[in-house]
Parts: sequence; structure tokens; C-alpha cells
Amino acid sequence: MKAELLTYTPLAEVKKVFPDLETDLLLPHLNYTFAIEKVSRACSHQLVRHRVASFSQQSQRYITVKRLSEKIVVPPSIGSNEAFDDLIDSASIAYQKLVESGIPKEDARFILPNATETSLLLTMEGKSLVHFLGLRTCNRAQWEVRALADMILEQLRAVEPIIFNRAGPYCYQLGYCPEGRHTCGKMKEAIERYRVE
Amino acid sequence: MKLSLIANSPDMETMIATSMLTTTSGAMPSTLYDRLKAKPEKVADIVGRVEVQHGNILEHNRLVWRLEATRDEVLDIMLRSKFFNITEAGPDTWVLSCNLRTIAEYHQIHPDEFSRELIESIKEAAPHVYGFIKGDKE
Repeated sequence: MKAELLTYTPLAEVKKVFPDLETDLLLPHLNYTFAIEKVSRACSHQLVRHRVASFSQQSQRYITVKRLSEKIVVPPSIGSNEAFDDLIDSASIAYQKLVESGIPKEDARFILPNATETSLLLTMEGKSLVHFLGLRTCNRAQWEVRALADMILEQLRAVEPIIFNRAGPYCYQLGYCPEGRHTCGKMKEAIERYRVE
Repeated sequence: MKLSLIANSPDMETMIATSMLTTTSGAMPSTLYDRLKAKPEKVADIVGRVEVQHGNILEHNRLVWRLEATRDEVLDIMLRSKFFNITEAGPDTWVLSCNLRTIAEYHQIHPDEFSRELIESIKEAAPHVYGFIKGDKE
């Protein structure tokens, strides 16, 4: 998995013209574009839930998935597992047969699993990004999207610390956990992990 | 009403080309971006083939303006397109921002003085997009 910040609109350029405006008010005017690479389709499904964003994703209508068993994301909880490996092998063979028999890729892809790797461009404005990080760096987020959100946060803090040193899981942003009865119960540790000296 | 462009995402047209190729090639988007940055003629060729209907590839950017306008004029803009972000910065002064898709689509539907000012302001930052948006109507 890889997340690389490709371009962004720097806060300083807007602040030069509007020095008295609070940074929070400027967040919706700032954009961040990331290359997100080699994540699972299960992960990208979670990304597109964040609707105030733009996505350009590798299309399975146009790109043939070659050697599926080398192009999958395996959850650590599964690791090396016969049932999982068998299914990937079967899906790989069936997909290949369908494509070779002339079935359009857009239909053959129906057989591909959620584990299939994908890459995409993701663009989000600052306010939505802080919200995304609040939800997806939380201990309750799924492991893959949480690892991705951590990578994204690290790069944002490097270029715009004024904005993103305050970003992290909602418990870190708010000082309390908004998850109610679903709380992980580890707020102190989470806040400590995201605290910037 | 007066518009001044104060900031924009860098390399907007390189990003449009990267976005186009990401969807249809197996290459990694960061690799495509790096390759295209070194080949402005290829970017020009790809962006030259873009149409307004290719919506989402025009979204990976943002342009920010200082807008001088009355409340009524701003309300008019907001009612015409929900895709502008607008923040009040002082008396008759606003921060306005959007992406290139919003500009292209706004111009298709409302080719008015405001849209002409928007388009003129992207002439340097996105020359090929400027060309196809203008060519679309005029």
C-alpha cells in the first residue's frame, strides 16, 4: 500500500490575501490530491463513502487483471489460509477463461473478489479531509483504511502542520470519544499516539 | 463584481492527464504523474482531447479567488451552482473557490459575465482547458 501527496493548495497563499480569516474558515478552499496505490477494492469501497471528494480509479472495464494471485491484498488475520488461497486461484482461472472466451472485461470482472488490488487518485478539500481522518484513524476503523489514513495524515502534517497537527481520530480532535457505547476504551493511548510535541 | 485569482493547485493539466490515464492504464498514478510532468507535450495532447462531459478528471484541482460582490450577487452565484465554496471575508468581499469542472459546467449553462471572468482567470494556469471551455461556446 502507498499514499503519496501529489499536489495541494497551500494555506500560506490564501492567508497572504486573507490574513485575518480563521484557518478553519479557509479549509473548504484548500485541496489535497493523493495517489493511493495497491489497496484492496474493499478499502476503496470505504473511501468512496466520503462523498465530498473526487476519485479517479483504475477501471476494471478497461484494465485486465493479470495474475490475480499476485494482485490481491490479504488481511493479516487470514494470512496463509487454504480456503482463501483456493478461492483466489479459482477466481483467477475463471476470470482468465471468461476473458479469453471473449466475454467483455466489464462482465468478467464480476468474478473478481474484494481482495483485488486497485489504485486511484483521491482529492479532498481540507474540511472533509479532517473529518475523514477523524473517522478513519479511529481505533474502530477497519485496519487497511486506518493504515492508509495514517499515511495520509503523516504527509499532511509534514506540509501543513498548522492545519493537520490538530487532525487525527475524533477523540484527539474533540477531547472526548463520540463513539458512545462502541468506544474502544483506549482514548488516552489514542490521543497520546497522535499528539504532536 | 470583481474576481482575482489568488491561488490554485499546481500542475493542474498534468493532473488531468494523470487522471485520464489512471482509469485506463495499469500504471500507478504516482508514476504516471511523474512521467507526465517531464512531458508537457504529451500533457497538452491528452488535455486537448478532453471534453466537458469527462467530468471527474477535471475535479482534482482547486482555484481560489478574491471576489468583490454584493450579497445579492453572491446569492445569485450560489443559486446557479452548488459547487462553489464561498466564505464571507469582509464587507462585499468573499473567498470563492471551485474546481475546473465547476467552471466548465457553469459556463455551459450560464455563459454570463461572471463565467467569462472565471474563464479568463484560468488562462495561464490551465491554458488548454481555457481553450476547450471557450471553444465549447464561442
